[in-house]
Amino acid sequence: MPIANAGAADRTGGFASRFNLQQYVVYLGFLAIFLFFAVVLRDSGFLTVRNLSNIVLQTAPATIMAIGLVFVMAAGEIDLSIGSIVAVAALAAAVTINAYGLAPGVLAGLGAGLLIGFVNGALVAYVKLPSFLVTLATMGLFAGVSRSMTNLRSIPVTDSTFTGFFGSGSLLGVPSLIWWTVIAVAVGHLVFRESRFGAHVLATGDNARAAAVSGISVPRIRLAVLTISGGLAGLAGLLYAGRLQAAKYTLGETDLMTVIAAVIVGGTLLNGGKGSIVGALVGSLMMGMLNNGLILMGLSVSDQMIVRGLIILAAVAVSLREKNR
Amino acid sequence: MRTMLKSLVALASLTVATTAFAADGATTGPHGETPTPAASLTLTPQQEDEIKASKFTAALVWHEMSEYTNAVNSGAHDEFKRLGIEVVAQTDAGFDAARQKSDVETVLAKKPSIIVSLPVDPATAAAVYDPARAAGVKLAFVDNSPAGYEQGKDYVTIVSDDLFQMGNKAAVAMADALGKKGKVGYIFHDADFYVTNQRDGAFKKTVEQDYPDMKIVAEAGMADPARAEEIAQGMITQNPDLDGIYVTWAEPALSVLSTLRAAGNSHTRIVTLDLNEPAALDMVKGGNVAALVADEAYNIGVTVARAAAGSLVGQEVQPFLVVDSLAVTKDNVADGWKKSLNKDVPATVADAMK
Amino acid sequence: MPANAISTNVPVLQLTDIRKTFGGITAIEKFSLDVHPGEIVALVGDNGAGKSTLIKIVSGVHPPTSGSIAIDNEIVAMSNATMARARGIEVVYQDLALADQQSVYMNMFLGREPVNRFGLLDRRRMIAETEQLVKELDVRIPSAHATIRDLSGGQRQGVAIARATHWASKLILLDEPTAALGVAETAKVEEIVLSLKSRNIGVLIISHSLDQVFRLSDRICVLRRGRQIGVRKTAETDKNQIVAMITGLQEH
Repeated sequence: MPIANAGAADRTGGFASRFNLQQYVVYLGFLAIFLFFAVVLRDSGFLTVRNLSNIVLQTAPATIMAIGLVFVMAAGEIDLSIGSIVAVAALAAAVTINAYGLAPGVLAGLGAGLLIGFVNGALVAYVKLPSFLVTLATMGLFAGVSRSMTNLRSIPVTDSTFTGFFGSGSLLGVPSLIWWTVIAVAVGHLVFRESRFGAHVLATGDNARAAAVSGISVPRIRLAVLTISGGLAGLAGLLYAGRLQAAKYTLGETDLMTVIAAVIVGGTLLNGGKGSIVGALVGSLMMGMLNNGLILMGLSVSDQMIVRGLIILAAVAVSLREKNR
Repeated sequence: MRTMLKSLVALASLTVATTAFAADGATTGPHGETPTPAASLTLTPQQEDEIKASKFTAALVWHEMSEYTNAVNSGAHDEFKRLGIEVVAQTDAGFDAARQKSDVETVLAKKPSIIVSLPVDPATAAAVYDPARAAGVKLAFVDNSPAGYEQGKDYVTIVSDDLFQMGNKAAVAMADALGKKGKVGYIFHDADFYVTNQRDGAFKKTVEQDYPDMKIVAEAGMADPARAEEIAQGMITQNPDLDGIYVTWAEPALSVLSTLRAAGNSHTRIVTLDLNEPAALDMVKGGNVAALVADEAYNIGVTVARAAAGSLVGQEVQPFLVVDSLAVTKDNVADGWKKSLNKDVPATVADAMK
Repeated sequence: MPANAISTNVPVLQLTDIRKTFGGITAIEKFSLDVHPGEIVALVGDNGAGKSTLIKIVSGVHPPTSGSIAIDNEIVAMSNATMARARGIEVVYQDLALADQQSVYMNMFLGREPVNRFGLLDRRRMIAETEQLVKELDVRIPSAHATIRDLSGGQRQGVAIARATHWASKLILLDEPTAALGVAETAKVEEIVLSLKSRNIGVLIISHSLDQVFRLSDRICVLRRGRQIGVRKTAETDKNQIVAMITGLQEH
């Protein structure tokens, strides 16, 4: 009997001390990297407002994808198709804008993302296939679709309302990409942390059976998170198209791993039950800052990749160690 | 370094002279520019002193890293160093236009005087380079320039391969290997891609015009390099008596080589483009590979760096500068590696030559 | 209605002639049982006797093939667990069905979280109600904010029972509530179960431990191979008789 009690006491003691570190790993890591670059690159323009705002602008699409992925991963699923969705959505928007104008183009881009996400979700929730396999397949499928959509050509987007609203413009002196980031993070955080839906997403990823016997419709949650992820990847596609004033099948192709790393470093568990939108934002900014700082340090391309890989490895290792004991 | 460059230049003009008889045709720039030999671009000692005194800086913004980019990159590095220009940043976009845009924005924080770059997607690259252009940075490009940009005003120049010359030299090398007669298979890149289209076309044209006893008896378009083996298989099955096969570049040529080996075929010769270690190894061991035509990639880097630096001190630069290429055979493989990539021939190949 | 009134009033649960078949196999036959408010009835039998199937029938997971279920004398048809919960029936599962990485209070309200007028989670209310309930039931946990996986087995069981108690207006089904617990924790959980009697709800408990059944229950219902062997008042029987019924040495 004393053994059982001692064990319990131990666990509660550990709980208090672990709690702080676990929650702040990503923020401490971010701060450490920021301070390092601020010191090392103090004469290289790293600390200029222009450069710092560039980092936020450059990471905006990845941040928005990361928000969707937090929902997916917190529900215990994965979405590997987000990169392909970005390209399909950007191309769908570009082609439609050029043919039918602004509003149909935006709808086509977002609609394409939502639709692909919905198909992913339906296959996972109702056909009961593992999301890893479903989205691995749709990743390849839609990479092919985006290539065939315009026969590998890039499509220019000249509608200045579109490019201004989604990528290159600004409102009240703040670039539109920053507005999108702020809005997406705020809404994402509110829904994830403060709504019943968010609570049900966490419960589903934590213990799907417990969620089901508590009256939560687990399939509906799975459908919803993958649809959200698809929709946000579609929005990221619009932002890329707006920023580049063009769409191409390569958009988003290299983002998947960055986004997954940002989400995990930001405190979301790979197997569900725990997640953080603000953490994902900071994780994403950290990735962007890393790219930016390593370039400004004047490292060769291969050295940049090696250092970036090592830092991400360290960050992921620390955040997973803290969470999994 | 300087003497090496000089001998390079001398050698280049020599090769131009010796191949001047070949089929008519010339490389045209991506926007229809007339080519100018890279060797024609020189800086006076006064200009070089002025450049060295000005403490310029440069950033290299690549589309992706490959053996080719590496060679261009090291050529640019060496030339910038020679001219006292510091390379402050270097990036790799992994073929992603969005990332290249971020890379340009990022390097601008270091306020470089020059950006040397290869655009991922020339058709839409204006949005990528606009911030640099607006900041007054001298832009010099490799292989292609953003659509809508005007040479002389928006950018300094484009430096590229002499693509026609490469295809032409491949045809000459094939003729040398076959004794100017025989049946030839032609595997071309079946895609709308400026670089390969010009090289493939020049090969075909040269064979047809200059070598009446050589016939292209089999043609196959390759859209996906992963399918090269199947294409070669089909071609060899239908034409077992081919004397030579031209392959559009080295990677798929390796698939053709393995198909020939599997069929026990040792008489069909392969000519392809780009230096490649396994292909070179087969060549020096007396296998099917007869020649590899390589561009002077290192020299592209030297030229683009020199052009950008020169433009900062008022030097006029031609819109489209092309470097030479060379046919690398068993006899000049070590020399070829040095000239093309400014590297020693790989150890495996060197050992096999002993 | 006075507390602790046993067998004197309307049963909260009345099962009549319940029969359940899966394909051609009969899992439960002719099963009838009443559970009254404030009463603890134990369901005993060997593995495969049909106890779990019965729990699933009562909790709405498996509708019976024939027979009727009445709650407060009203015949009900339940085709899923949500309908059973809406009728005031709560289950504490063997695996507890807790979300390990969530807090105690989020688990307490899992699937039924209250929201404020902006549609946002009413955390203050959840925390307050949780703290009140764990205090009433004397479930000793560090705080309503504690994460489930940081709790001991007994504390988790306490949380699961507290959750059922919070929502059950009629009946709580307990499936092996102390199977994984040590001696002290078992005693604590039994204390909590006994305290449910004062809340005027019925309790149907499955347990392998006859000692525990005799400590807790008012009546004992024995099942063997899907058939109801008999129901005995705990005070009027003994272990030998129950063992004999379970093993088939005594039919009635």
